[in-house]
Amino acid sequence: MTDLALPARLRRPAFRPGIALASVVLVGAVAACLAAPLLWPLDESAVDLARIRLAPSWEHLAGTDDLGRDVAHRSLYGLRVSLLVGAVAAVVAAVVGGLVGTVAATCGGRVDRALMRVVDTIAALPHLLLGIFIVAMLRPSLGAVVLSIGLTHWLSTARIVRAELLSLRTRPFVDAAVAGGASRARVLTRHLLPHVLPRLALATTLMVPHAVWHETALSFLGLGLPPHLASLGNMINDGQRSLLTGAWWASLVPGLLLVAVTLALAALAGRWRDRLDPRVRAELHL
Amino acid sequence: MGTPLSSRTATLVVAALLVAAGCSSPAATSPAAGGAGTLVVATAGEPDTLNPVLNYGVDGGSLIFDGLVARDGRNRPVPALARELPTVSPDGRTVTATLREGVRFHDGSPLTAQDVVFTYQAVLDPKVDSTLRSDLDVLASVAAPDPSTVVFRLKYAYAPFLQRLTLGIVPARALAGQDINQAGFNRRPVGTGPYRVTSWTPGDRLVLAANEAYWGGRPANSGVVVAFVADDNVRAQRMRAGEFDAAELAPKLASGFDRQAGYRVERVPTADYRGVMLPMGNPVTGDVAVRRALTAAVDRQAMVTGVLGGAGEPAFGPIPPSSEFAAPSTTGTATADPATATATLDAAGWRPGPDGIRVRDGRPAAFTLMYPATDSLRKELALAVTADAKKIGIRITPEGLTWDAITPRMRTDALVMGYGTPYDPDFVSYKLFGSAFAGQGFFNPGSYRSPVVDKALQDGRDNADPAARRAAYAIFQQQLATDVPWVFLTYLQHTYVVRDTVAGVTPRVEPHEHDVANSLWWNIHTWTKTS
Amino acid sequence: MTATAATSSRRRRRLAGAGAVVRRRLMVAVPVLAATSVGMFVLGAASPIDPAQQYAGAAAFTTSEENLAQIRANWGVDDPLPVQYARWVGNLLRGDLGWSTSRHEPVTDVLAARAGWTLLLVGAALALVLAASLLLGTLAAYRRGGWFDRTLRAGAYAVQSMPVFWLGLAAIAVFALALGWLPAGGLTDVTATGTHPADVARHLVLPVTVLAVSQAPWFVLFVRDTVAESLRDDHVLAARARGLPGRTVLFGHALRTALLPFLTLVGTHLPELVGGAVLVETVFSLPGLGAVTVQAALGGDFPLLAATTLATTVVVLTANLLTDLAYAAADPRVRLDD
Repeated sequence: MTDLALPARLRRPAFRPGIALASVVLVGAVAACLAAPLLWPLDESAVDLARIRLAPSWEHLAGTDDLGRDVAHRSLYGLRVSLLVGAVAAVVAAVVGGLVGTVAATCGGRVDRALMRVVDTIAALPHLLLGIFIVAMLRPSLGAVVLSIGLTHWLSTARIVRAELLSLRTRPFVDAAVAGGASRARVLTRHLLPHVLPRLALATTLMVPHAVWHETALSFLGLGLPPHLASLGNMINDGQRSLLTGAWWASLVPGLLLVAVTLALAALAGRWRDRLDPRVRAELHL
Repeated sequence: MGTPLSSRTATLVVAALLVAAGCSSPAATSPAAGGAGTLVVATAGEPDTLNPVLNYGVDGGSLIFDGLVARDGRNRPVPALARELPTVSPDGRTVTATLREGVRFHDGSPLTAQDVVFTYQAVLDPKVDSTLRSDLDVLASVAAPDPSTVVFRLKYAYAPFLQRLTLGIVPARALAGQDINQAGFNRRPVGTGPYRVTSWTPGDRLVLAANEAYWGGRPANSGVVVAFVADDNVRAQRMRAGEFDAAELAPKLASGFDRQAGYRVERVPTADYRGVMLPMGNPVTGDVAVRRALTAAVDRQAMVTGVLGGAGEPAFGPIPPSSEFAAPSTTGTATADPATATATLDAAGWRPGPDGIRVRDGRPAAFTLMYPATDSLRKELALAVTADAKKIGIRITPEGLTWDAITPRMRTDALVMGYGTPYDPDFVSYKLFGSAFAGQGFFNPGSYRSPVVDKALQDGRDNADPAARRAAYAIFQQQLATDVPWVFLTYLQHTYVVRDTVAGVTPRVEPHEHDVANSLWWNIHTWTKTS
Repeated sequence: MTATAATSSRRRRRLAGAGAVVRRRLMVAVPVLAATSVGMFVLGAASPIDPAQQYAGAAAFTTSEENLAQIRANWGVDDPLPVQYARWVGNLLRGDLGWSTSRHEPVTDVLAARAGWTLLLVGAALALVLAASLLLGTLAAYRRGGWFDRTLRAGAYAVQSMPVFWLGLAAIAVFALALGWLPAGGLTDVTATGTHPADVARHLVLPVTVLAVSQAPWFVLFVRDTVAESLRDDHVLAARARGLPGRTVLFGHALRTALLPFLTLVGTHLPELVGGAVLVETVFSLPGLGAVTVQAALGGDFPLLAATTLATTVVVLTANLLTDLAYAAADPRVRLDD
């Protein structure tokens, strides 16, 4: 009851003990991904049919899968691939969305209306179906999956950037710059973009987990990365098949890794958002 | 103001949806199905159509239709709608069938020779989108000199033609003058078989009711429901939940039922092989030494145990061991033989390079192995072959692709393929290994050419005498074992889980394609269930 | 008297405005639909998929090239694109959506048999997710920082990162297998002869819940954040200061303020819900539109693909229109006729 009357910012430490943990998880994951090829190279063809579905042990920390491959080892590489796919796809989405949003906001008028109409049209189609279509067109591959995710997820970024730019336009410092004789391009690059970039970066970060999720969904439908490649999505799908045969570790370990890293990313991004602007409403419909 | 409004809107929307859904209920209501004595079976594969003309259940066992000829438990032709097995003229180009008397379609109309003529002519009609036409390209004409006689005229003598007469016969009256591609018949067909169709909800189930007036005797049960459940896990879980009397399951999932009381697992031998097609157009796989080394290096037994969960047997050629035409002398060793493999490569001049991969004339022993990305079994076989090849110094790069990406590359890149029919060795092999079909789509995609094989295949086709055919196919298998255009890996066993309460199950060797037709339940009309 | 007269005249004006907004939305909808259908055909023409080979399925292995070419010619799929498009639009205007090459039946039949179930699944999941997220999000915002808030947020982020088919399989494993409470899939009991509402409802509990749960994080977190935000608004603080009870302030003032942006979220999130339905239908083997749409995309079945895409677009556009109207009805500041 009483907290209603309290200024909200005093009650903000929510999730903070998690921040440290999240940082550890994320830093650890990234470091492991970077170091893995040096310390523990993966042979994609290391199939050993004599050692299939072994339970976790000291030799195989997370057991072995249907083809006798070490689950822990492949999970690490899977995380590498998935994070890479997620990050690149998110950057593709951020670039496309950022450009469209900027053009719409700065040109205004007809161009703005036309672009936003395009955004509305694409937004009216289910992402997953659109993504399936793009992959089917390009044939499943790493590039196709990245494009499929990137090209279906830029809409919200475009809207965020456009809204941010439009709201900035009415701020006094922009008026001052315009009154001071600054060109349109200069106002945009010197005064507006620096304010938009953090927001864009945040939107991109929040998109990474979603992109990873999209990759697993495409893989589930057989349209994702080449199925023998170690990605978290492929591993979860393969492992899911062996769930009923009792080999729970084959999908649980990559699954937990996915959830842990996603949670860490989300927690850190959430904290970042709060720091950026404590009063800003979250854009969650990524 | 907000809350009541939005909840009201939500209620309205849901109500509207319920109305919309109710209006379009896909499952027709009928009192005939269900109740005691109905058997429920589940499978992944759902037919696209129930019309035999458009390729439904053409090899018999279709439950709804009968052909002139059927197959018994050992896949031997037996008369069905024909009174006895059709007779073949001495020149092998005229086949005459006399119809069984008193057979009626499910709608009560009598079967006549005109129905048979109509069925075969429909397949041959270019306006009909039937993929069967390629199988019947031997057929010149079909005629009905009288209401109970059908005469087929062939373009050339074709020994296994009787095997093609399993095609289900459709009633001419129900389809004449219609566009067969789009006829309602394809969804609600009328046949002469042991069951008539009550309803078909695509993606969900096919409900069949016993044909009390079946010419072969009234079915032992009152009906069959075929549930279509695409996902293996879901099917296994629903089987475990007790929803089905029998279900096809992936071997690994089926073995989970081995120890479970109340269920038994049927592992049915098939003619369904998997192998690696090695194209002649690739400089590495085009070398016979590489091909011979590969076939020696693969550990087929480990694949059967590890990949197939024990439900299979090693394969060495396209004619299954269960066939009377199989030549056991062409069988190799089931486990890997790396010594022979490396000796073969050494002798051919493939020397190990610095990274362990063999090299000859500056060319590394490396090639790409394609597999269809959605097929997890072929993926696992591709990876197993990759691992075995690496041990003898051949580097394979597996690549999971869609079919449309695979087809243009089959001339130069290896592919994990699978097919097979238990019925006649001519059916698939004639086109798959004949040089006349080199490079034509899925017919002989690797452009394998051997005059010996061509002659053997032609002899097997021309000769009606079984002993002469056996000799021809022995030569064919011997030559394949020498040239190794494919590395055959395994024959699959189709695995089914059946409840102990079901009696009458008699497995027979199955072909590659099996869904409603040609599965374990090919003779379900003789099954009974005790409860 | 005067007050009611003023209200009713305002309501009349608003209704008149509603007609205008419907007209304006329709004027936008037609070009959007046209653009979507043209886009589908252009993509289809560029697609490497051979529909005839897909149609043949495993029989492609024994089917000759001439046989497949004849089938393609029968379908006219090798005609120039404008010819195909004109034929398709012509048929569409006569109410004929064409022939589905992957399903082997008229597209209208596919839609008639399946669209209802998808709509039911999506509609019920949407209703559930709306009710649950409004309630849970508001409660979390009220005690923000508390254990309930933290658990809910952590749970939401965790669910967000779980593939929906994973949730589905887990739900089947727990509720259908381990506990045996609910059926594992299908629309009705396998031996059922019709679609009895109670039977269908029992079979839809798990799929609807899984779909709702998988989509809930976005809604819950949104409600939680906006309500938390509005709890800081002046009018809410004022209401609290006036001594109104906490529950009234929370649901009467704070939640109400948060509802308007929430409506927008519902509109924009609908396509995502449809995407989730595709996966849920696959896992629970429901005979809905989702599975056939994937099949159509993979099989180069453009008549069916175009129809389902258009149908989805129509549904989403209609939902957007309803959102607009609801928005206007809920917020007096929004004028429909502007």
